[in-house]
Amino acid sequence: MLAVNQVSRTFQSGTTGFENIDLQVKRGEVVGVLGTSGCGKSTLLRVLSGLDPEYEGSIRTKSENHANAFGMMFQEPRLMPWLDVLDNVTFGFSKPSKKEAALELIETVGLKGFEHHYPKDLSGGMAQRAAIARSLLSRPDILLLDEPFSALDAFTKMQLQDLLLSIWEQHHTTTLLVTHDIDEALYLCDRIVIMRGQPGRIESELFIQRPKPRKRGDAVLGELKEQILRELDFTKR
Amino acid sequence: MSSRTEAAVSSPAVQRTKIKTSPKRKRGGAWLGLILPVLLLVLWETASRAGWVAPYLLPSPTAVVEEMTGMAQDGELWGHISITLYRVSAGFLAGLSAAVVLGAATGYSRLARQLLDPMLQALRAIPSLAWVPLFVLWIGIGEASKITLVAVGVFFPVYLNLTSGIQGVDRKLIEVGRIYQFTSLQQIKKIILPAALPSFIVGLRSGLSLGWMFVVAAELLGASQGLGYLMVYGQNTSAPAIVIGSILLFAVFGKLTDEVLKRIQTRALKWQDNLENA
Repeated sequence: MLAVNQVSRTFQSGTTGFENIDLQVKRGEVVGVLGTSGCGKSTLLRVLSGLDPEYEGSIRTKSENHANAFGMMFQEPRLMPWLDVLDNVTFGFSKPSKKEAALELIETVGLKGFEHHYPKDLSGGMAQRAAIARSLLSRPDILLLDEPFSALDAFTKMQLQDLLLSIWEQHHTTTLLVTHDIDEALYLCDRIVIMRGQPGRIESELFIQRPKPRKRGDAVLGELKEQILRELDFTKR
Repeated sequence: MSSRTEAAVSSPAVQRTKIKTSPKRKRGGAWLGLILPVLLLVLWETASRAGWVAPYLLPSPTAVVEEMTGMAQDGELWGHISITLYRVSAGFLAGLSAAVVLGAATGYSRLARQLLDPMLQALRAIPSLAWVPLFVLWIGIGEASKITLVAVGVFFPVYLNLTSGIQGVDRKLIEVGRIYQFTSLQQIKKIILPAALPSFIVGLRSGLSLGWMFVVAAELLGASQGLGYLMVYGQNTSAPAIVIGSILLFAVFGKLTDEVLKRIQTRALKWQDNLENA
């Protein structure tokens, strides 16, 4: 579905970005990218989504138009404040053709009844729900999530993680989730890629075979967390 | 499925009721603004009637109104009003068009900004009335020079607010457009213009008020008709009622036109998260 070969993106300072990333993602797979701050995991998503075109290496997708293959969701909702929820979800498309699909998605993310509210009238969690709906409307082959819930409170975060699970159950969207929240990655992902260093490289990979939905307090996940924490240990170089 | 905390948000009813009550409160507030002017009018009238001030300096409000209605019945007043309105609106449109073109260019393109902005900022530093002799020399004493002067006054606030509005557009929103593969034109239409709209409307309102200021200046300096001319006429014939009447008419028309823009502003910007819409 997505093949990333020897992709590097370094900035002039030479200390940020990432280098020599190899990553294959299968259809329907949910891959988490975990890493310490500054290891270039957000930059990786910016490169994949086409926001940052100055990379080396090759990125291949199944779709003909590379850029259309991706849907992106940011850390902040990034809704257009002058559009109501429905118009924000259909943003970038001609409204009549997508209205039905948009209304359906709005219902899926639990915002039914809020179609004509402006972003200023939404809570942080609701705005992020609208952003999920927007990123799904184009039916992207691969959904890129850049720390999507890191700005939300713990309860809203859990609700939205469960929302993502139920969306994956319905749509089987291939997803790349960048996060610094180990529990989130363990709860949601089929595979976790751990990035380290400046510039960042892929340090190791971890397959999580537990069926979803998982229990948040699962003992096996707890052990995996220990292992990841050891991997991320800052004293190791 | 038991571990799921499934996703339903509470109904929007609470917010609806809040939205319904707020306009009522705002309309009630409008009457408060009338208290002071009415009090002042009453004080002024009594002061004139009681003879506390000399009528050749400050005639009573009723005298002013009589004078103006007299002129209105003669038909003389309408000519003055309409020519002034014409100058303001023509100048406003001219200044606005120039400001939109140049402001959009300098706001959006770095090259245009580096090329044009320093010169425009330098021109802005010239006190606008300093243009009057030059305009009169170049385009004569007719309508064109007055309209040009108004246009110059309108141009700068609109231009400044539009460029800074465009430059202030959130990079994060622009990135959303890039995810959607927007062309430059789509970026401008769907993201940059709506995002710059609040600043642009602020520019329109201050541009309009400067337009009114400049039409007075133009008419004071050389005109044979118009509200500004009427003031000079009142001064020369020692008729304070005419001067005060003209001032009041300026106030009325300035307020009315600003009110139109303000209405547009509230309607177009009801999405803004600010005190006005709270």
